Amino acid sequence: MHIDKYERMWLIVVSVTLGIFFSALLAGAVIFGVRTPDPGGFINPLQLDQTEFANPGVRDMGNGEYEVTMVAQMWAFVPATIRVPAGSTVTFNITSRDVTHGFIIEEHNINFELVPGHIARQTLTFKEEGEFHMICHEYCGRGHHLMHGVIIVEDEASTTALGE
Amino acid sequence: MAVQTQDLGYQGDDNSSLFPKLSLAQAEKWLVGSHIFVAFTALLIGILLGPAQTFRRVPALKWEIPVFSYYYQALTLHGVLNALVFTTFFIMGTSMFVTQRSLNRPLKSMQMAWVSFGLMVVGLVMAGAAIIMGKATVLYTAYLPMQAHWAFYLGLVLVVVGTWVGSLNVALTYMEWKKENPGKPVPLAVYAILCNFLMWFTASLGVATEILTMSLPLSLGLIDTVDVQVSRILFWFFGHPLVYFWLIPAYLSWYAMLPMQLGVKLFSDSMARVALLMIAIFSIPIGVHHLFTDPGVSEAAKILHSLLTFVVAVPSFLTAFNIAATIERNGRKNGATGIIDWVWKQPWGDPVIVSQYLGMWLFFFGGITGIMNASFNMNVALHNTTWVVGHFHMTLAGAVFMTYVSILYWMLPAIRNRKLWLRPLATFQAYTWGIGMLMFGAFMGRAGINGAVRRSDLGAVGAYISDAVAPWLNLTAVAGFILLISSIALYTVIIGTLFVSSEEPEFEEKRKNNNKLVMAVTTESPPASETPAIFENWRLWIAVIIASNLIMWMPVLISAINLTNGFWNIGFPSAAQ
Repeated sequence: MHIDKYERMWLIVVSVTLGIFFSALLAGAVIFGVRTPDPGGFINPLQLDQTEFANPGVRDMGNGEYEVTMVAQMWAFVPATIRVPAGSTVTFNITSRDVTHGFIIEEHNINFELVPGHIARQTLTFKEEGEFHMICHEYCGRGHHLMHGVIIVEDEASTTALGE
Repeated sequence: MAVQTQDLGYQGDDNSSLFPKLSLAQAEKWLVGSHIFVAFTALLIGILLGPAQTFRRVPALKWEIPVFSYYYQALTLHGVLNALVFTTFFIMGTSMFVTQRSLNRPLKSMQMAWVSFGLMVVGLVMAGAAIIMGKATVLYTAYLPMQAHWAFYLGLVLVVVGTWVGSLNVALTYMEWKKENPGKPVPLAVYAILCNFLMWFTASLGVATEILTMSLPLSLGLIDTVDVQVSRILFWFFGHPLVYFWLIPAYLSWYAMLPMQLGVKLFSDSMARVALLMIAIFSIPIGVHHLFTDPGVSEAAKILHSLLTFVVAVPSFLTAFNIAATIERNGRKNGATGIIDWVWKQPWGDPVIVSQYLGMWLFFFGGITGIMNASFNMNVALHNTTWVVGHFHMTLAGAVFMTYVSILYWMLPAIRNRKLWLRPLATFQAYTWGIGMLMFGAFMGRAGINGAVRRSDLGAVGAYISDAVAPWLNLTAVAGFILLISSIALYTVIIGTLFVSSEEPEFEEKRKNNNKLVMAVTTESPPASETPAIFENWRLWIAVIIASNLIMWMPVLISAINLTNGFWNIGFPSAAQ
C-alpha cells in the first residue's frame, strides 16, 4: 500500500501534536490539580432521610475548610444559598433526590452530573469575593430553568459560613 | 438475471449493462425518494424550531415559540426530528442508492428495503405522536429516570430495528457482489457504507439494551426501578458512534462523490479506507468522554477514553489531508500554479460543490472544538454549557447537514428527472448557511465559556442569565435569522424542483467526464495491488471491535452497577410532560 511522502509527514505532525495536547492535559491534572469528579459512592435516593443528606447545609471543619452537603431536587438546590469566607476550601457532596440534575458554578472549575444513586464529590477553593451562581445544567423537567442558587464569597473577617 | 431486473422495474437507457447507468429505475426512485421525502418533511418542522428557540433564549427578545409554545417540547422535537429522524432516513436512503449504483446491481431484496422503511415510519409516527401529545418531553437523549410514554420508546426501537433490516440488506447485496467479484476490492463508496453499518449495528446494541431492559419495561409498568448511571453508560456506548453514523456519509460524499463532481481522481483511495476503518473501530470505545462529569465513572476510565478520543481525531486529520490534496488537484487542473491560488480556482458558484466546501470549513471549527471537549479536564469548563451546542451545530448542522444538502442538490434532480430549480438560490442557501452556522457556533460557544447552560429555557421568567452571557446570546439571534432565511431558500429550491421545474436535468459530470454521462457515484474498484485485502477482512475487524469494547467498556459498566443493592431509581413520568 502506497502512502505519499507528504501524507506520511502529515501523519507524524498530527500524532505529535495530539501527543503534546494529551501531555498538557495530564500535566494539568497532575501538576495543577484540574480533575474530573471521582466516584463518591452509592446512595439510595429513596432513603436520603436516613443519611448525611437528611440535614443538608454547610459545616465548618476548621482551618478555612468547609463541607457542603447538598441535595438536588426538582427544581431547587438545598441549600440554595451558601456563604463562605474568601480563601476557604470547600468540599461539595451532592446527590439527587429524584431525576438527573447538573451542577456548575460560574467562573469556577466544578461541573457535575448529579445522577440519582451516586454522590458527586469535589473540592474547590474560593479565592475571590463575589456572588457566584450555581446552576442546574441537566434538563430535569418543566422547572429546570428555575433551578439555580448562589454562593456568596465574603470578606474573610465579617462572615460565618451559612447554608440556607 | 435479466428477468429479475425487469420484474423489479429496472429499465434504463443503457441496455448494455445490468443496471441503467443514468436514468433511475422506477422502483429505485420510489424507494430513495420516499426516504428523502420523510427526511426532509421531518426536517422542515425541526429546522424551523431552531430559530424559534434561538429567539426564545435571547434576552433582548424572549419570544414565545409558535405552535409548540413549551420550550422543552420544542427542544425535544428539534433534537429528535433533526438529529435522529432526518439523519437516519437520509442515511438509509442514500446508502441503498449508493450501494445499488456503485455495485451496479439492484439490492438483494426490494421487500427487505421496504420493510426497513416501513418499520422506521411506524416508529417515527409513534415517537412523534408521543412528543406532540406532550407525553415524551425528555429531549432526544431521553435520560432516565424521566419516564416518557411507552410509545416513544417503542417508536425508537422500531426505527433502530428498521435500520438493522436495511443494513442487512446492503450487507447481503455486498456479499453477492463479492461472490461474483472475488479478490476485487469493493468501490470506496460502498466500503464507507459497510464501515458505517458495522459501527452502527455494534453501537445500537447499547441503546437497544437500555431501552429494552429499562426504559420500555419501566414505562409499561413491568418493572418499578432502573439504574440511571448504568442507563447513561449504555446510552453513550451508542451515543458517540451515533455522531459518526451521521458523519461517515458526509465523508463518503467528499471521498467518493466530490472527485467525480470535480472531474479529478481522489488523492489516495487506500488512505481513505484507513480513515473509514479507523472511525468504525475507534468511535465506540471512547464514549465515556460524554460522561466526564458523571459521579459513577472512575477517573481512570475517563482518562483512557479521552486518550482514545484523540486517536479517533486522526482519521479526520487524514481526511483533511486527502480531500485538500484532491481539491488542490482540481485547482491545478483549472490552471493554478502558485502555493495558494488553487483555493479560488474552484467552482465557487456550484451549490453542490460549495455546500460541501463550506461544510468542510465548518468542520475545521467543529473538529477543533471537539478536541477541546474530549480533553477530560478542560471539559469541566465546557460540559453542558452552550459551548457544546455551538460545537455540534458546526459538525452536525454544519459539515454533515451541508454535505447532505449537497447530495440532495444532485440527487433530487435525478429522482424527479427535473433540473434543480433556481440554482443561484441554492448557491445563496449554501453560503448563508455556512456563514450563519459559523456565527451561531461561535456565539453559542462564547456564551458557554461565560457560563450559559445548554438545554435551559433561558427566556422564561425566573431563569438566570448573567451580564457576561447576555450580549453573546443576543448575537445568536442574528445567526438564527440568517439561518432562517437560508432554510426558506432551501425549501423553496426543493419545492420548486419537485413541482415547478420543467427542464430535464443536465448532469454537471457530463461536461467534466469527456461527455460521458455518469452519476457522481463511482463504480470502479481500485487495483487490488494498491488495496490490501485486509481492509475487507470483516471477521478480523469485528473481532477487534468486540475486544476493544470489552476492554474499554466492561470495567466502566461493572463498576457502575450497584451489585449489593440492585436498581433503586424509580421513574418520574411527571417530569417528562
